[in-house]
Amino acid sequence: MMRCGKTMLLAGAMAMSLPLACVAAGQETGGAGGGGGAANVQIPTVSQSMLNSAAKDSKNFLATNGNYDQTRFHPADEITTKNVKGLHVAWIFQTDVRESMETSPIVVNGVMYITTSFDHLYALNAQTGEQLWHYKHDMGPITVYCCGPNNRGAAVLGDKVYLATLDSKLDAIDTKTGKLVWSSQIADPSLGYSETMAPTAVDGKILVGTNGGEYGIRGFVKAFDANDGKLLWTFDTIPENSVGVWATKDATGRDMHRDIAAEKEALAKNGDPYKTLGGGVWQNPSVDLATKRIYFVVGNPSPDLDGSLRPGDNLYTDSLVSVDLDTGKLACYFQYIAHDLWDLDATSPTVLVNVKDKDGKTVPGVMHAGKTGYIYVHDRKDCKLIRFSEPMVSQKDRWVLPTPTQALDPKAARMFPGANGGVEWSPMATNPGLSLAYAINLEQEMTYTVASAPYPEGKLWLGGAFTNVPGGVQAGNVTAVDYDTGKIKWQVKTPQPMIGGILATGGGLVFAGESNGWFKAYDAKSGSILWKFQAGAGVNAPPSSYMAGGKQYIAVAAGGNVQVDSRRGNSIIAFTND
Amino acid sequence: MRRLSIPLAFALTVLPFAAHAQSIEEKAQICTACHGENGVPLEQSPPVPVIWGQNLGYLFFQLRDFKSGARKNDQMTPIAEGLEHSDLMALAQYFSKKPWPNLRQANPPANVAALAQRANKSVVCTSCHQEGFVGEGTQPRLAGQVRSYLEKTMTDFQSGARGNNPGMTDLMKSITEQEVAALAAYLAGM
Repeated sequence: MMRCGKTMLLAGAMAMSLPLACVAAGQETGGAGGGGGAANVQIPTVSQSMLNSAAKDSKNFLATNGNYDQTRFHPADEITTKNVKGLHVAWIFQTDVRESMETSPIVVNGVMYITTSFDHLYALNAQTGEQLWHYKHDMGPITVYCCGPNNRGAAVLGDKVYLATLDSKLDAIDTKTGKLVWSSQIADPSLGYSETMAPTAVDGKILVGTNGGEYGIRGFVKAFDANDGKLLWTFDTIPENSVGVWATKDATGRDMHRDIAAEKEALAKNGDPYKTLGGGVWQNPSVDLATKRIYFVVGNPSPDLDGSLRPGDNLYTDSLVSVDLDTGKLACYFQYIAHDLWDLDATSPTVLVNVKDKDGKTVPGVMHAGKTGYIYVHDRKDCKLIRFSEPMVSQKDRWVLPTPTQALDPKAARMFPGANGGVEWSPMATNPGLSLAYAINLEQEMTYTVASAPYPEGKLWLGGAFTNVPGGVQAGNVTAVDYDTGKIKWQVKTPQPMIGGILATGGGLVFAGESNGWFKAYDAKSGSILWKFQAGAGVNAPPSSYMAGGKQYIAVAAGGNVQVDSRRGNSIIAFTND
Repeated sequence: MRRLSIPLAFALTVLPFAAHAQSIEEKAQICTACHGENGVPLEQSPPVPVIWGQNLGYLFFQLRDFKSGARKNDQMTPIAEGLEHSDLMALAQYFSKKPWPNLRQANPPANVAALAQRANKSVVCTSCHQEGFVGEGTQPRLAGQVRSYLEKTMTDFQSGARGNNPGMTDLMKSITEQEVAALAAYLAGM
């Protein structure tokens, strides 16, 4: 039964001005049964102009990283440094899937979209937490992925919500009914292609990258037509000439101890390794609407640790890349680490913000927080590096080469940071008013060993192993960096490695969760902890904020995480003040 | 091998002469000789794994690899070579739908379990094999698998005797013999 009417639960003039449609209360679609019940919630169409002004939208949370600049800054200021101590649970939604949760809740006019591991998608009443509908992706038999069955969220545009899946598909779901409209195959999962990222919706296009750098894929960013799922363009992250300039130093100027002569010999013998060179794109690109360019970062080369099979700089792995939004053609790039042997892929999503260049002039900038533990600040025009921050984590024994021996050998190489970083996939948050970028880091002592094996078609291809040193350092931190100077403003150490995400709000706060279940609010200027809550499972996901019923909410998933093996859960928790 | 050589040889001689189109159930009958009528594998050397209820993508990949030679096994290689490519997914689907048998293997003592868990913390096995070691898709379920098969598999990955997953070889080289034994006991008891 469809229930619509003139009465609306959703507050505000914005709801009035949009074309609205109604949803049958508590509908289950594409999967398990069991209704929720939510009366009279109208699901709005999402216009491109709404998405364009997302950064100023204090009501909604319209994209995984808040807006096309990906600042994860929500302007609402009802919750402040003064009153955050009164923050309490408003509701809890328990999903059907108790496994890693990495989803950023998307909220549009009181309707929340969240995803779970194994590619479930829920629409919830953002004010009450009640389910509107539940969609379960019909998973194919072949799924190949390294780092957990997780999913980082959905994208909304028009009357559809988009989900990218572990079997490398892109699903478009009707927001009113929760039913599948179309599904496109992105790439062949049996070769190691899969999706855990949220798509980006812009200008009638749905943009996705891919996983698979652990399996010898050839990475890409693809654009699909938002209406019918047709492929519009593909940007290969690995060009046919991947060799580059034989760079011997990384972006921070450190010598990487390359044996260029040996590499040139291998190149002459075996040719360019581009076909299986890796270069996945783990997460959302940022979108510069003025120049119609997107900015993303590219993951590690394959195999991760064995450079002998892949001579050359391995372009464009471990790089910042910008391409044209309409055509997918390369605009500029900057490689952080050429011929990476340490799995230091670039995964944390880019942020667009005005920055001071080397002469103190304000220019459009683009930032990325690396597994290396630095925040890099670039000129958006040509991708050139303006500065890199002070290191956020230990750089002990950085660039020690992986040893061709077993991890158990006491002489096996150990180094910081470990293969997870620094900053892993966790998106940063940015407060442009304070010129501060906030990143969450891991510090894990790992041993690195290398062992060569030929390309194994769809099987794990690391070229060695990185393992946590039993009893070794396992810690993390939340760091605030002034991106105009590169200096660390404040840093709070955490007892466990941090992976998930962080949110900055107009009330002068920063929110981040930890693997031990604590979800905390920090003073954005000083890093003082002003509030905390024990969620009962690892809070390893980026938080969101929105307004509903005239009140500000903070919402976060507490489901744990496979990579740090934190306690698993199944819940979305929303907090508000009285 | 001695126990089963006669029925197996018989099955192998019968198969090529089958002129009518066999259903998947009929084709799967040959598997029961080692993998068991009710999914409980026969005890023999080398050990035979549970395949009933194993994950679909993994079963498909193994049949594919046996057929191509990427994975070698004296019993499985001739059987896989005798299968059509179209049979591989069908057989994988057939067995993945069966219930995983409870082999009632004992829980290991606490110190052995602790060693197994320590090894998992180091290599993070659960990042592919999932929490509870139930696997998904092309990553196999390990929980409740035959203990001797688990031990042999990890050892064969370590040595390269099992060659169809170099990533697993790299990871198994990172753990000790004692950890292999502990993991086998721990996983079998789940």
